[in-house]
Amino acid sequence: MLVLFETAAGYAIFKVLDENKLREVDNLWREFETAEKANKLVKLKHFEKFQDTTEALAAATALVEGKLGKSLKKVLKKIVAKEAHEQLAVADAKLGGVIKDKLNLSCIHNSTVGELMRGIRTQVNGLITGLPARDISAMSLGLAHSLSRYKLKFSPDKVDTMIVQAISLLDDLDKELNNYIMRCREWYGWHFPELGKTVTDNLAYCKCVQKLGDRTNTATTDLSDILPEEVESAVKVAAEISMGTEVSEEDITHIIHLCDQVVQISEYRTQLYDYLKNRMMAIAPNLTVMVGELVGARLIAHAGSLLNLAKHPASTVQILGAEKALFRALKTRRDTPKYGLIYHASLVGQTTQKNKGKISRMLAAKASLAIRYDALADDTNAEMGVENRAKLEIRIRHLEEKGMRRISGTGKARAQSDKYQHKSDVKTYDPSGDSTLPSVPKKRKFQEVDEEEQKEVKSKKRARLLESPVTEYIEEAEPPTKKKKKKEKKQQVVVKLEEEEEEPSTSFVTEEVPSTSFGTETPEKKKKKKKKIKIE
Amino acid sequence: MRPGFSPRGGGFGDRGGRGGFGGRGGFGDRVGRGGFGDRGGRGGFGGRGSFGDRGSRGGGFRSPGGRGGGFRGRGGGRGGGRGGRGGFRGGARVTVEPHRHEGVFICRGKEDALVTKNMVPGESVYGEKRIGVEEAETKIEYRAWNPFRSKLAAAILGGIDQIHIKPGAKVLYLGAASGTTVSHVSDIVGPEGLVYAVEFSHRSGRDLINVAKKRTNIIPIIEDARHPHKYRMLLGMVDVIFADVAQPDQGRIVALNAHHFLKVGGHFVISIKANCIDSTAAPEAVFAAEVKKMQQENMKPQEQLTLEPYERDHAVVVGTYRPASKQKRF
Repeated sequence: MLVLFETAAGYAIFKVLDENKLREVDNLWREFETAEKANKLVKLKHFEKFQDTTEALAAATALVEGKLGKSLKKVLKKIVAKEAHEQLAVADAKLGGVIKDKLNLSCIHNSTVGELMRGIRTQVNGLITGLPARDISAMSLGLAHSLSRYKLKFSPDKVDTMIVQAISLLDDLDKELNNYIMRCREWYGWHFPELGKTVTDNLAYCKCVQKLGDRTNTATTDLSDILPEEVESAVKVAAEISMGTEVSEEDITHIIHLCDQVVQISEYRTQLYDYLKNRMMAIAPNLTVMVGELVGARLIAHAGSLLNLAKHPASTVQILGAEKALFRALKTRRDTPKYGLIYHASLVGQTTQKNKGKISRMLAAKASLAIRYDALADDTNAEMGVENRAKLEIRIRHLEEKGMRRISGTGKARAQSDKYQHKSDVKTYDPSGDSTLPSVPKKRKFQEVDEEEQKEVKSKKRARLLESPVTEYIEEAEPPTKKKKKKEKKQQVVVKLEEEEEEPSTSFVTEEVPSTSFGTETPEKKKKKKKKIKIE
Repeated sequence: MRPGFSPRGGGFGDRGGRGGFGGRGGFGDRVGRGGFGDRGGRGGFGGRGSFGDRGSRGGGFRSPGGRGGGFRGRGGGRGGGRGGRGGFRGGARVTVEPHRHEGVFICRGKEDALVTKNMVPGESVYGEKRIGVEEAETKIEYRAWNPFRSKLAAAILGGIDQIHIKPGAKVLYLGAASGTTVSHVSDIVGPEGLVYAVEFSHRSGRDLINVAKKRTNIIPIIEDARHPHKYRMLLGMVDVIFADVAQPDQGRIVALNAHHFLKVGGHFVISIKANCIDSTAAPEAVFAAEVKKMQQENMKPQEQLTLEPYERDHAVVVGTYRPASKQKRF
């Protein structure tokens, strides 16, 4: 009888030497107490080692599903070729059935086989010669990890460690870059201090230094692709009258090396930022949509992992990053901070100072929903984040519009805005409140107005008759302002239209004018009135 | 109860009760450890390193115990079990002595705690406290073991006679969950031993794999323990089976695994939750029935212990598998 024994290192086929002993199932374990005894009972016929971890993983998955893997098929075919009459003892009855179907090899599985397997397993190190014990345990560890990863559908682009590392690297790079640039400025400033003062942009400065080298080359080098024109000319001028000292070639070489480094690091930083943006979108699309890549990455890095961040309540997400202030406030019983890292999100940044606290709370609440969705859902897309962001933006708008509160009184009531008046029900302007001078009797006012109106109408008539351009009249009347011009134009146009339409109506118009105000007047007339008073 | 050992009352390193700053490191009682503030403008919190203060993941202070009261007043739910924690403030002096069980230690200070030697110094698995001890040029780190979260710790504190899990042993752990107790078992068995951790849930499996990444003596298996033949490729014979599966057919599960992988004369430690097996019957009856089932499968129980006061209606049964028959005495 042959025995099929699967290990993490490979397949082993044993041949049972003494079949009689198999009958005493209960004492079979004694035969496997030592390696020598075991070797007397079973002998290793063939050991098929797995070539690499992928093959081992394939074999393991086939075994879990009870199917016949490729490597197993290969091994068994060899056996079938040699000893087709022998029975094969397998540990899994289902597998035995499959083998029988495909390879026509009779398999058995019963309690005796189970005992046999136990025995072999106990002495696996002694039975499979040529395979050190460490090997088997190392292989089984590796295989277990790959198998688990396969089971959990581990996908490498959903690993948030990349984000954490990338954002830390970004911060480190910024620090380093700053240091190098300061050093470069100081160093080169010894030779050409004016360049430092004229060129404020750090990257441009380094590129300049790279191109120039010694400041004597400034006149001959073309810096137009690095600097804007005025700055370039300023630099060229400064180079002539520079008070810096001379430096040797070697020194310049070193400074240029430093500048090369700075430029390289700058370029890498932009690449890294792009990479970070891509990863953030892949790993946590909803969070990215809500707060932006940088803030999202910082939140994840602060919490340690996306899953950790998902476990935090929304209030924690709101003040993540302000722990020092938080605990200080808690300790001294003062007000706790309203925002932490989330302060740098665009939604919070674009509101007024008053509303930042409210917005940060709302944003944290919705963002923590988005985080949980990203961390725990099987399939993620950015829909939910977009919806939430839209909701938030509506709410922000409401906050900023309807936020008017009454100042006096309890301050809790909303300020009442005036009710809308339908246009046909027109209220005319009451000029009595205009001036603080002792109010003149109304009659008189009307009289004056009357006179003025009539005068104006006459002059209009004149204008019409003369067919002079409309604008002249306006210029004559008062200092022209654009608004008044427009009003006048409107009025004139209206008047003209009226005149064109109905000749007789003009008289009607003129009659109306003296009656003034409290009838149905068009808004143009109203404007006319206003203008008149100003003249007064 | 072992004389002179006072069980730690309130919550230990409990993640839930805290304000939820689940940073990477845990915090340890390191004497004279500056802690943090190295992360520049991040409000001094870092979150990655460990910090010396026990009570809160606070901003770098080693405040006196009076803080506990103030915290509770303001922090409310945040403070949770913190007030009850008494001893083990940052920088307290403690001594560590070995427990009767090999590989387990007791940390004696104002309050005593059960600890295991940390195989990965500097790392906390589930936010538990770490205790650093200087011992003749070498620094050893111990991790506190919470009996409220771990049935094995509760059994040890309850005074179980033998756990059979010792340094160098090979353990099959059924029901590994997120790897909190598995990490302690891994500490006990040390680098020479092996822990095969079987867990079916994918969520917990992810955490288990993360724990296994750091500790090379844990082999994670994301499979159903009801079908041991499915993971036969990964296992060798084991010395001890620890089962904490909380399933109604757990007796059968353990028996099946024992038949496959437990050596002759090997031991098993099973945690039985009465509610889980049969919620209507009395707990004692449930335990008795389970024990009977075990005996039928050639698993001889040797001791049974309830896990009061840490768990309700739980029992731990320790026994031998296929014990060698005793010699007849004359």
